[in-house]
Parts: sequence; C-alpha cells; structure tokens
Amino acid sequence: MTDATMSSVTAPPSAPPGRRSPVGSVLIHAGLIAASIAMVYPLLWMISASVRPEDEIFASTSLWPSSVDFASYVRGWFGLDVSFGRFTWNSLVVSVLTVIGNVVACSLAAYAFARLRFAGRNFWFAIMLGTMMIPYHVTLIPQYVLFLNLGWVNTFLPLVVPKFLASDAFFIFLMVQFFRGIPRELDEAAMMDGCGPWRIYWKIMLPLSLPVLATAAIFSFIWTWDDFFGPLIYLNDMNTYTIQLGLRTFVDSSSTSDWGGLFAMSTLSLVPVFFFFLFFQRLLIEGIATTGMKR
Amino acid sequence: MAAVQDSAVAIGGGAQARPAAQGRWASLWTKHGAGYMFLLPWLIGFFGLTLGPAIASLYLSFTSFDLIRTPEWVGTANYVRIATADPKFAAAMQVTFLYVVLSVPFKLTFALLVALLLDRGVKGLTFYRALFYLPSLLGGSVAIAVLWRQLFAGDGLINSLLAQFGIEGPSWISHPNYSIWTLVVLSVWQFGSPMIIFLAGLRQIPTDMYEAASLDGASKFRQFYKITLPLLTPVIFFNAVVQTIDAFKAFTPAFIISGGTGGPINSTLFYTLYLYQEAFGNFRMGYASALAWILVLIIGLFTAFSFLTSRYWVHYDD
Amino acid sequence: MTHRISRRTVLAGGAALLSYAAFAPRAFSQEARLRLLWWGSQTRADRTNKVSELFKKANPGVDINGEFLGWSDYWPRLATQVAGGNAPDVIQMDYRYIVEYARRGALAPLDSYLGSVLKVEDFDDVQIKGGSVDGKLYGISLGANSTAMMVNTVAFEEAGVDLPTPSTTWEELARMGVEITKAGKRKGYFGLSDGSGVEPLLENWLRQRGKALFTADGKIAYDANDGAEWFAMWQKMREDKACVPADIQALDQFNIETSPLSLGKAATSYAHSNQLVGYQAINKDKIVLKSHALINKDAKGGHYRKPSMFFSVSAKSSDPELGAKYVNFFVKDPEAAKILGVERGVPESASVREALAPSLDELGRAALDYVSGLGSLVGDLPPPPPSGAGEAELALRSVAEQVAFGQLDAKQGGETLVNEVTQILSRG
Repeated sequence: MTDATMSSVTAPPSAPPGRRSPVGSVLIHAGLIAASIAMVYPLLWMISASVRPEDEIFASTSLWPSSVDFASYVRGWFGLDVSFGRFTWNSLVVSVLTVIGNVVACSLAAYAFARLRFAGRNFWFAIMLGTMMIPYHVTLIPQYVLFLNLGWVNTFLPLVVPKFLASDAFFIFLMVQFFRGIPRELDEAAMMDGCGPWRIYWKIMLPLSLPVLATAAIFSFIWTWDDFFGPLIYLNDMNTYTIQLGLRTFVDSSSTSDWGGLFAMSTLSLVPVFFFFLFFQRLLIEGIATTGMKR
Repeated sequence: MAAVQDSAVAIGGGAQARPAAQGRWASLWTKHGAGYMFLLPWLIGFFGLTLGPAIASLYLSFTSFDLIRTPEWVGTANYVRIATADPKFAAAMQVTFLYVVLSVPFKLTFALLVALLLDRGVKGLTFYRALFYLPSLLGGSVAIAVLWRQLFAGDGLINSLLAQFGIEGPSWISHPNYSIWTLVVLSVWQFGSPMIIFLAGLRQIPTDMYEAASLDGASKFRQFYKITLPLLTPVIFFNAVVQTIDAFKAFTPAFIISGGTGGPINSTLFYTLYLYQEAFGNFRMGYASALAWILVLIIGLFTAFSFLTSRYWVHYDD
Repeated sequence: MTHRISRRTVLAGGAALLSYAAFAPRAFSQEARLRLLWWGSQTRADRTNKVSELFKKANPGVDINGEFLGWSDYWPRLATQVAGGNAPDVIQMDYRYIVEYARRGALAPLDSYLGSVLKVEDFDDVQIKGGSVDGKLYGISLGANSTAMMVNTVAFEEAGVDLPTPSTTWEELARMGVEITKAGKRKGYFGLSDGSGVEPLLENWLRQRGKALFTADGKIAYDANDGAEWFAMWQKMREDKACVPADIQALDQFNIETSPLSLGKAATSYAHSNQLVGYQAINKDKIVLKSHALINKDAKGGHYRKPSMFFSVSAKSSDPELGAKYVNFFVKDPEAAKILGVERGVPESASVREALAPSLDELGRAALDYVSGLGSLVGDLPPPPPSGAGEAELALRSVAEQVAFGQLDAKQGGETLVNEVTQILSRG
C-alpha cells in the first residue's frame, strides 16, 4: 500500500501502518538492501557471464570478468537459424493468451465454487484439486496423442487452449480462496437489488478481486514464459519455438555449447517478464484504492 | 449469451416470483444451473482434455508399457514391485518427504515475513518487491544450475564467506549429506510467488478494522495476532496446500542441479525425477504411471487432511 | 451488461485473430517430405542444414525439415513422438539407445537397401556391425570416435610433469597425478579426475583384462573381484591425492562443462574424442587427447573405434527409401563430407576420410589423428549394450560415489555393483 492511497481514503499520511521512527526505518531499509543483494546476485552473475570470455565462465568464481565483450548478445540474437526476436514474439503470444485464458476461465470456475450453491459442488472441487496432483510426465504421452489426433501438434493450440478451459487448477483454487474473503453482505445486498450471478460476478467479484486477478496474471505470464517442457514436446518447427526452447538450443552438453549466447539471451529474456511484473504489480496495489472500501 | 443473462438474472432476483407451473426442471435449473454455467469451461476442459489422459495413465499403471510397443496388461505387478522390491522408490520417497518437510515451512515463513515487511508502506516498495521477485523470474533455467554450483561448490561464494569466520565448508552441492539443503535453499530463495499471494491477501484486509483496533489502543502485535493473522488464514491455507503439493511434485530443481541423475548417491532423487528416469530413461512408462498414482494418493491424503483440519483454523467470511 | 459482455467477446475475438497469425499451419506441399531429428548444437545444425540443401539440389522435389535439440532434451521429445506415432523419418541415434529403439520395432531395418541405395562398401566392416541389432542393420554410423583422456597441457607443464604417452601405465599416471597435486601451482588443483564412476573408462580397463561390460547375450561380463580391484585402485589414488576428492568429483555430471577439468580442479578428464572441440571452447589452456593408461606395460589397450552416432530410419516412415538415400548422401557425398568435417566423429568411409583430411582445422585434425593413431591399442567392437545399460551406468556412478564418500569399502563396492547391474539386466 502507499501513503497516498491511505490519505485519499481515510486518514492523514501518518496513519497506523506508516508510522515509524527514523532509526527503525533505516534498519528496515538496511535489512531490505542486504536481502536485495542476495536476490540480485544471480542476475549480476548472469550478466557478467554473458560478457566474459567463454573459457572463464566455469572455472572462475569471481563476479568480475577479465575482459568485457558484448559479441555474445549479437551472436545469441542472430546466431540460431531463427532470430531471437521470433522466439520472443512466440513467447509473448503464448504468454498473453495464457494470461487471458487463465484469468477469464479460472475466475468463472472459482466464482462458482466460492459463491454458488449447486449439486456436486464439493465433488467437483475435490476433482479439481485432484487434477493438481498428477505428475505431468505420465499424462504427457496420452495428451500428446490426443493433441496429435486433433492436429494441434506444432501449433500453439496445445499450450493455449487448455488455459481457456481453466486447466490450471492452481488459479481456480487461488481465486476461490480470495473470493471467499469478500464479505458476503455485498452480494446479498446486490441480490436484493435483483442482480443475478453474472452481474454479481462482473460488478462485485471481479472489481473487488483485482489484487488476486493481477496475481494470477503475473504468475500466468511468468510461468508460461519460463515453461519449456510443454513447448519442447509440442513445438517441432524452430519458427514456433518459445524463448525457453530457443535458450535450450544453445546448449548441447555432449558437444559444443554457446554459453555466452545462452547467458546473454537469458539476461535479455528477463526484460519482458520483469516489466510485465512491474506493470501488473501496480494493479495489485491500485486496484484496491478504486474500491474505496479496502485500504 | 442474452438467454444466459436472462436466466442468470432470474436466479438472483425473480426466482421466488416465478409461477410454480414452470415445473420441476425450471426450478432445478434455477437452483443448480448457474453454478454449472460458470463451471462450463472447466468441465469441458476436464472431460475433453484432462480426464482421458488421466484414465489412460491409470490404465497404463497396470501394464508394462515401453513407450513404443503396445501396452501389456500385468495386473498389479507394478504396484507389488513398488511396495516390495524397489529400493530406489524408498530412497526417492525419503528424499521427497525430507524436501517437503524442510522447504515448505521455511519458504512460507520467509515469504510471510517479507510480505508483512513490504506491506508496511516502506518507501521504494515497488523497487524491493520487484527485486525480491527476481529469483522467481529465473525459474528453472539452465543458468540456475551453473550459478548454484558457483555458490555452493567447495570454493564457491558461500564457502568464501564462511572462510571469513574461519569455517571451512564442504562442497555443499555435491556432498550426499548436504546436497538436499542446497535445493531447499533454492526453493526458499524463490519465495516470490507465495510472497505475492500473501501481499494480495494483506491487501484485502479492510483498513477500518485496524483503525478501530488502534482507536481501542491495541498494540501492533495484538493487531497482527487478532486481525491480520485470522483474516489471512485462507491465504495461508492456500499457500500451505499448494506449496506442499508443489514440493511433492518438484522436478525441475533436482533435474537441473543434479543433471538428471538425482546424485550424488540418490541424495537429490526427487520422486518425480525417479519417475521421469523410469519413464523416459528406462522405457518403463507403465511402472512410472504406477509410481505417479502412488504419489497422487499420498498428496491426496495430505490435502484431504489439510482440508479436514482447516475448519479449525481457517476463517472465511462466508 | 450486454455492452460489457460484448466487450469481452471483442477481446476474445482479438485474441483469436492474434493467434491465427501464429497458428497458421505450414503450407502443405505435394513434395516428398523428410523430417530429420538430431541432437547437437547450432554448429552441428548449420552443417547438417547445409548438407540438406545440397541433397535437395541433387534431388528436386524433396523437402527436408530438420529439428535439433540438446542431448538431454532430445530423448524425451523423441520418445514422445515415437510413442505418439509421429516419429521423424531420419533419427539420430546413440550407440546405447539404438538397441532400445530397434528391439521395440521403432526403427526400419536397412539391410534391403545395402548395395542399392546405401553404398557403404568402403566402411569398416566392424562399423556396419556396430549399427546392427540382432543381425539386422538399423543405423549407419556417422563417424567414429574413441574414449580419450582430455589433458590440460599447461597444468602438466607448470608442474614439470611430462604428458602421458600411449604406454603410460595406471601406476605411472597415478604418480603424475600426485606430482601435479603436490606441485600446487594452482589453488585447490589436483592431478587427475576421479574416473571410478566413468563407465567407458571402466570398460577400457576391463577390456585390457580380457573382460568387458556386457556379454553378447546381455549379461554382465565382469565379476565382483574386478569391481573391487577397480574401486581399490581409485581409492588409493584418492588417498594419495593423485585425483580429486569425492565431493569435487561429484560435481561432475559427465558432461563437458561440469568435468573437473573444465571447472579448473584437475588436469585430466575422461570423455570421447569428438568432444575435444567442446572442451577447448570453455578451457583457456590447451587441451590434448591422450589414450587411456594401461594396466601394465604389456597390456594390449582397451580402446575401440566406437560409432559416435548413427542415422536410423523410422519404421513408420512413409518413404524409408528416401530416408536411406539421404543417409547415404550424408555419409558418402564428398561435398557433404567437407561441410560436416569430423564434427560428428571421424567418417567411416575411407575415401571420404582421405578427401576430408586436408580441409580440417587444428582441432578436427587432432581428433582424426587421435582416432586413427591409436594403432595397436584398438581392439574389437564390443557387442551393442543390452537394454538396461543406461540404468547400469547410473548404478556404477552411484556405487563409485558410495565408495568415494566412504559409505562402502572397495570390496563391498565391487559386490554391490555386480549385484545391482545383474538385477538391472535381468529386469531388462
């Protein structure tokens, strides 16, 4: 939350959560900065690995490269048969569609589970949770056969269509937990006013759940961006490769690998997710201010 | 779409007003129909895409299937072997349970603490939150495997830090007694997802409750204990259940860090890694499917237990 | 309300439109189409694709679609495609996996194309045998390599130790290791990698003793005593600090970048000759190939020219003859050979080898010279490894680690290893 939000709603900027002595504030920042270093170290290391000579990446433990050369960025971007721009575009398409699919389909199902009473609700809920528990390696082949028969292999359909059918139980469960936290008086009042479930879902649930919807969007995007097993199995043509699959083609542990290219492109591939995260996490905060009733 | 809307509106508002003559089906529809309408995409996905492959894998678990030839029915032989004659199953179980027990509580506590800290309106919040999410952005990329070796090998960064205090550490990542810990650290380090969920949960707690409490003179700690914690229980519950399921199913960290072997000496042989080795390395998909369903059973029991106990400590607003 | 919903519909429509561009199916052509799948790096892909272009030029109307992946991603994708009945026409195969795939009927026997489409008369007989399973030919070797010791010449030089020679014995090698470690020119540096868990190295050692890893009928071909002696030899080297300690060796995932040599922990590593290029790329110091040490001065050497990889044709291929034709072009065409170099190993065809030799770069020549210069150290090709060989390799590694970390002594190690491998092979 931000102080600005607070003041706009109720109290002056020095309201409870913000009040702190300067010493405490310094301590908190010191702790946060120390923790941040531990969090950023890998990124620094990766950037350093992307510009240092290849014969130094594995044998040297220092963060500082002996010499700096950005050639691996150029080589990484253009070195494969298909340029990294194509992979980035593919990843964006798959990730954005996944975000839309997950947010729409999972919130519908979650609303049913959280608020509507219907026969078999608990049964379906248990089944839904059950689908989270099966390791994907064993359903992979039957699913591959299914998608092959549908003619979907070597397209993005196997990666995206399931999301529009709420295949990711994690998000349903997540949204159920948050929907249940929204006071029931709100929908009861709306129901009195003659609102049906669609209206309540659209007018009350979704606006009040922006934090969790933003969360779901963030996770959907990042996890899809990072996923490589699905693309590995379903995408054969290099023109359809996603970033993660592109990254894997730099490495063949049995012959020669382009490690510089790998780390350079790994670093670059973080940029879009990072900005997606930055953008959507604002929703996580701002969404609340608009409702007025939450802090 | 319009029809759906109409009937949906009817459920909420005019249900009682409807003439009884419309009959039983209409009343059943008004009672249960909306629920199923909302569930429809999921139901289509479940019956169309999930159920078939799941049943297929259950069937395969009673067969000997080498990925290429037609599966051969072997009855319960796979399950019998798992229960009686597979030392690697026992090893994998042990490693996995250890991982679940160690990583889940650490990760959740850490994520909750950081979320509470970040929720307190610290200046530069966005900045910290983004930084703290960085490790989770990296996911299971190849870079992590190389990086983790740089950190936890004999002459890695961790040991050079320890050396400042005169401690000579072993090669954590490649020692059978410690390697699992490096995976636990990796899991805790990638605490971004539960942290964000906790943050979203904290955001949903109405501020007026705190204001009322602080007017009553309740201390910060008391506010946390009496307001934050109870209202956060649905989210804590969610994170606990999901993280436990994830930890049982963890694959990528062990796969990338041990190079797919589960070594040294099976010390990082996660259950799903063993399952993967059997399925794709040793061409025993039938056996791997049986392993999978045992895991489903175990996770199912854990989850059912969590749900049963949740009614004593999780507070919903409904 | 209606307005809102229509907005969502528009959104979904937009998404569908967006996806259409990406989903648009590849143009279906009337041409004969050949799908290839291999593992390797972009360098290998560049060479392979160039050969495919040549082939297309020589065979108008053929369309070739090549896919490649790194080694560890390759096998799950291949397994899934084969299981789904969607296997590529031409499949790169490893010596170990060819048995697994051929016995299960996933590969097409190529015997009927010999002499007509496949003109591999000038291949070494042994290499043809190497691609055969149960008497039928399933793979054409793309090149030969041999196991080798990768040696960091600079580290040897710094320590004032002469490089190993083809007649160096294990005893002498161990002494070299001790000297390098003792010289202490580099921090935390040891003479040798610990090879106790390296299967090809154990195989080499067993072959010098007149034994082998597996018999022709798929049984274990050594006993607990062999295992115990093997582990004891390495135990002593660990104690003398001739080789790296257990926890450093355990970093090795038996690939190039995690070997103690590449991590800057030891002056040797055990690998295959065609991996020299990969090793040199990530090592500052000059790396050379050396043959494995001998059990005694009179030993015959345990090397063999191993088919480094094959091209096989899928049993489900709609046009296996075209596949065979491509494979033949790949291994016999002189232009193709120049493009391919020795990247996949030293070509099997004598004429191709001769044509190729002048155009090789330094590392390629080193690999070629190494394999052709092994001379009397080379013995017969062992029978193809049985089903379960992959699991047996993991077992060796695990037992070697148990011995190295002191959980088992050498004698127990030998017994455990033989027991486990026997069990694995009987399960098949």
